[in-house]
Amino acid sequence: MPSHPLRVAVVCSSNQNRSMEAHNILSKRGFDVRSFGTGSHVKLPGPAPDKPNVYDFKTTYEQMYNDLVRKDKELYTQNGILHMLDRNKRIKSRPERFQSCKEQFDLVITCEERVYDQVLEDLSSREQETFTPVHVINVDIQDNHEEATLGAFLICELCQCIQHTDDMENEMDELLQEFEDKSNRPFLHTVCFY
Amino acid sequence: MTSNNGESVGARTCVASQFFKDDKIGTHFSYNMFSVLTHQVVDLLNQAALIATDSKLTVLKQVQELIINKDPSLLDNFLDEIIAFQTDKSMEVRKFVIGFIEEACKRDNELLLRLIANLNMLLKDESVNVVKKAILTFTQLYKVALQWFVRSKVMSEMQEACWDMVTQMKEDILAMLDIDNDGVRTHAIKFTESLIITLSPRTSDSDTPKRQEGDISLDKIPKDHPYIRYDTLCEEGKSALEQLLKFMVHPAISSINLTTALGSLATLARQRPMFMSEVVQAYETLHANLPPTLAKSQVSSVRKNLKLHLLAVLKHPCSLEFQGQISTLLLDLGMSQNEIARNTPPINDDDDKEEPVAPSVSKPSSVPAAQSAIDLTAEFLRPLLSPENVANLVLISMVYLPDVMPASFQATYTPVESAGTDAQIKHLARLMATQMTAAEIGPDEEAGKDEALDDSLGETSKDLLIKRKVPVVGQAISVVGGGYTEKSQLETPQVKRLPEPILPSTQIKMPGASGKRKVFRLADVVQPFTDAQLEKMTNTAVKRILHSEKAIAQSGMSHVRVKLLSRLVCQFEGIMMDDVLEFILEDIRTRIDLAFSLLYQEYNTYLSQQPAGLLDAYDHCLFTLLAGLQEKPEQRDGLFTKLVLEAPLITESALDVIRRYCEDESRVYLGMTTLKELIIKRPSRQFQYLHVLLDLSSHEKEKVRSNALSFIKRMYEKDQLRDYIEKFALNYMQLLVHPNPPSLLFSADKDTEVASPWTEETVRQCLYLYLSLLPLNHRLVHELASVYTEAIADIKRSVLRVIEQPIRGMGMNSPDLLLLVENCPKGAETLVTRCLHILTDKVPPSPELVERVRDLYHKRVPDVRFLIPVINGLEKKEVIQALPKLIKLNPVVVKEVFNRLLGTQHSEGSSSMSPLTPGELLVALHNVDSTKCDMKSIIKATNLCFGERNVYTSEVLAVVMQQLMEHSPLPILLMRTVIQSLTMYPRLGGFVMNILSRLIVKQVWKYPKVWEGFVKCCQRTKPQSYSVLLQLPPAQLTSVFERCPEMREPLLQHVHSFTPHQVAHNLFYELACNSGPLVEENSTQDSEEKMEEPVEEPMEETSTEPADVTDQLKDSIAEPETDRTTEPETGAGDAE
Repeated sequence: MPSHPLRVAVVCSSNQNRSMEAHNILSKRGFDVRSFGTGSHVKLPGPAPDKPNVYDFKTTYEQMYNDLVRKDKELYTQNGILHMLDRNKRIKSRPERFQSCKEQFDLVITCEERVYDQVLEDLSSREQETFTPVHVINVDIQDNHEEATLGAFLICELCQCIQHTDDMENEMDELLQEFEDKSNRPFLHTVCFY
Repeated sequence: MTSNNGESVGARTCVASQFFKDDKIGTHFSYNMFSVLTHQVVDLLNQAALIATDSKLTVLKQVQELIINKDPSLLDNFLDEIIAFQTDKSMEVRKFVIGFIEEACKRDNELLLRLIANLNMLLKDESVNVVKKAILTFTQLYKVALQWFVRSKVMSEMQEACWDMVTQMKEDILAMLDIDNDGVRTHAIKFTESLIITLSPRTSDSDTPKRQEGDISLDKIPKDHPYIRYDTLCEEGKSALEQLLKFMVHPAISSINLTTALGSLATLARQRPMFMSEVVQAYETLHANLPPTLAKSQVSSVRKNLKLHLLAVLKHPCSLEFQGQISTLLLDLGMSQNEIARNTPPINDDDDKEEPVAPSVSKPSSVPAAQSAIDLTAEFLRPLLSPENVANLVLISMVYLPDVMPASFQATYTPVESAGTDAQIKHLARLMATQMTAAEIGPDEEAGKDEALDDSLGETSKDLLIKRKVPVVGQAISVVGGGYTEKSQLETPQVKRLPEPILPSTQIKMPGASGKRKVFRLADVVQPFTDAQLEKMTNTAVKRILHSEKAIAQSGMSHVRVKLLSRLVCQFEGIMMDDVLEFILEDIRTRIDLAFSLLYQEYNTYLSQQPAGLLDAYDHCLFTLLAGLQEKPEQRDGLFTKLVLEAPLITESALDVIRRYCEDESRVYLGMTTLKELIIKRPSRQFQYLHVLLDLSSHEKEKVRSNALSFIKRMYEKDQLRDYIEKFALNYMQLLVHPNPPSLLFSADKDTEVASPWTEETVRQCLYLYLSLLPLNHRLVHELASVYTEAIADIKRSVLRVIEQPIRGMGMNSPDLLLLVENCPKGAETLVTRCLHILTDKVPPSPELVERVRDLYHKRVPDVRFLIPVINGLEKKEVIQALPKLIKLNPVVVKEVFNRLLGTQHSEGSSSMSPLTPGELLVALHNVDSTKCDMKSIIKATNLCFGERNVYTSEVLAVVMQQLMEHSPLPILLMRTVIQSLTMYPRLGGFVMNILSRLIVKQVWKYPKVWEGFVKCCQRTKPQSYSVLLQLPPAQLTSVFERCPEMREPLLQHVHSFTPHQVAHNLFYELACNSGPLVEENSTQDSEEKMEEPVEEPMEETSTEPADVTDQLKDSIAEPETDRTTEPETGAGDAE
């Protein structure tokens, strides 16, 4: 494993906050990382809880940014959404949907259980071809800026540890147990095959 | 090797010649293309051989692209060059070679013949990542190979050998299910899955992914193939499934392997519905028996997977028959009924749900048979599950419940909602049946076994969990089960035909082909644990034993546990010991057995390692236990004592703890009792223990000290200890000769400078023990004397203060004390005196003592002070003899002497003991030779007597005066005493007149001092004294008048008042009338002054006497002075 950087996918629901935060940090640390969402749409907080801003995955971060500036610049500056979009558009142009990506990874990290379920469902519904394993780990992160930052660091640390193992698959179980003890949160972990 | 090399060279020349051929024949264009490509490849390969790994991979990938996709005709030419990289140092390059082999073989199946052996080599690579890659590739190539061989109707020898090797590799990978690398196992599972799919027939209801539509499967294999046998493959497939299922129920399966296997089973069920029954059953078994090794989060991961895969299976149309079981499982996994219904495929015309009669769809015949074991048991159980039976079952199983709820149970437990319903009973019966079948019990067990024997080669085993068959192949044990065995045995002679790998020139020759058969060796599969792992495991094991106290106690095996624990802990030194000790200390009362066992075990270890053995471990153990006990709040159970007394050896540090225990005021008695027991019962080291006790005898805490002393006193009675104690005490006392207290007198915590001066406290410290021993052994007193003589003044004072109690305890009859008095070392006089005082303080001295003192006084040290304590034991004349010296001493001492003599000190019976009566004393004082003693001291002494008014009553004084009168010459102080007696007792006036009269007879005027006092007395006692005065001869009367002219007139008047008869009788009348005062006035004045001085002096002195005495004396002092002051006036009056 150590000879090539770990191919990591970070997945959350809308590919905006949690996965992007982790994407940001991981790519800075030299990982081969991509980020995704699993939802059917990209949802951003709106003026009221029941009125989210909904985009499809084709919309670029730039477009969303402009759209929100137009709608209510102050509100979206206040709640950090504009700042987040601004960061996102500097990482990549638009959110991506995990289900539409056919690239193979060594490690998929999901940010909540629902996303984990969706990733698992998607991966197991794909036709198996090469039987190359991909590890899927769920790290529960609440969907707010602070938790996203903390979570991103945890993910980064986890990836670094995995990267440094001599035999990732053999040591993964133990490593995750250690991390569970250390971070005091449970990790769901499974392996799927391409 | 060389031949290989030559071959590749040959191949190249061949290529070259081909160029020429093509050059001649081919078009210009094709030639260019071809040549350019070839050059490019050669170039790249040359580069790759030289450059670093990263770029090497890029280069090699370019080559692969060129020779596989761009121009496959080049493949054959450059094959060897590429394969040569399989021995590259870099794992990534080796992986690349594997990928290349896959691509190449897929592109040109013929290459399998040449490359399969190379893949086989890589399958045994040392890097697990290479092995994994090789497995993945072989998974693909197995299908490719099978397909290729099946197509060829006639097999060459090469092909046969190639297939044999493929089969062999397949077995090797299946065996990897037992390898100890998690990742490799995962890959092996996936291979097994793929193998099972390939080696089983695809049916119409198979849910085959589009991509794999063209893949080969059992149904495409002709049954008349010359080399590949349909039956064998079918068996191999079943055996693989069996292995997979067996693998899944391994109790220590890792979470990832389990997840992988679950997924594989789902794939199998969907693609080969004939296996659905086994799959569902395996799911059921797993759900009821989640491996206990899984952590909590792993349990949830596995359950999540199980749910996912169950749903996938459920969605398959063939799941119909198993819908009941699957939905029960899903319900248990927390899925709602609705969700399940949503995922259930619509039922076609088969609505006969209740009767799971196999639908007309091609159901493999195995299904009902496999069902039977569990189903039969379930059917058998169902009517038995009455509420009563169930309740009993629950009660019985309570006993076997573990102490802690396992993570898997916690995760899987869902409250039973439909308890008691038929469906639930059915479910319960099935659950139990699963377990019972797993345990090989059940009503159909016999029948099932028979059946299994009947067609052991036939259907998938009914008894999936029966023990693994271990066929023996030669000496090697194949880990593969079943039908394969015979075949492989048959094949052994043909093994040599297996293809040889392409060996690059650098390659070391492979061992013989027969060596490729994997021989099972334990050492290959087993890896030694790391030290850390070992330690962790031993620790946890010991902890388990440690904490299973109750459980083991219930089974009555406590002694075994105790023994086991102590042995284990001693064997594995380290932190376990501390854990165990801590555990013991938590409740030492009940765990004392363990404590002792541990102690003895450690001691035993120490003994067995003699003479080089170290006591460290034992010491640590004992020390921790004792210290732990010491820190605990007081217990009265004597555990501390027990532990100390029964420990095989008391180490230094343990002794320290005991000492600390003794120093604790609340436990001092217990601690010292323990210490005492130790001293008595452990004679070999008794002095060491005794030393501690002795040390404590000078402890700063009073309670500790006094306890220690009383214990030592008891010890002292024992002969074998006596010397040691004595020596210690004397050594300690000996410290007093140092100019400063030695540091050992200060406890460690007191950071005192060594050069600090002696204090009362430090002096006492040195003496506590000695003094308490002294009354027990009087001989010791001589040591004190010798130390005393050497000590400095401060110490001497302290010593004198502290010896009172013990000396009194010794009593004056102690021969040693008498000896001391007799010898009285030089410099110890004060000590001896002090002893004498102490002895005689309350009781009169014994004759022996008096004798010794007298001797001492007369023969060696003529210090009168020695006599004081024994003064009452002396004879009268001795006292009188010593009196002049005695009264010269310090007034306080004199007072003491008088107290003794007068008996005013002792409460009872002492006055009778006094050699002198008070009267005699006073008389003796008057008779003291004034040359031996100055008048001042004598006057002071007499004043002391007068101070004792109780003793010197008027009667006594009268007798004294009477006796003094008889002396001749008259004592100088006679008149002073008379006057003082008169002052004290005025009623003695008559008696005094009598004395005065008699003095006249004794011609008192011949003694100037007495005469002076006489006149003074007369003066004070006028008018009573007139009659006495009138008795004086005329000359003396004149002298009186000269001294006190004021007397003349009253006396004259007195005479005038006489009757004539009386006057006639009075010769002095005339004198009184005629004597002229004026004539003699001056001369009398002079003489009076001369006379008075000596008298006056001592009178002044007396002002320092005690109050009651002074008061009386003041009068007597005031007397002459008033006389003098009034004199001129009276004189003036007279002159007129």
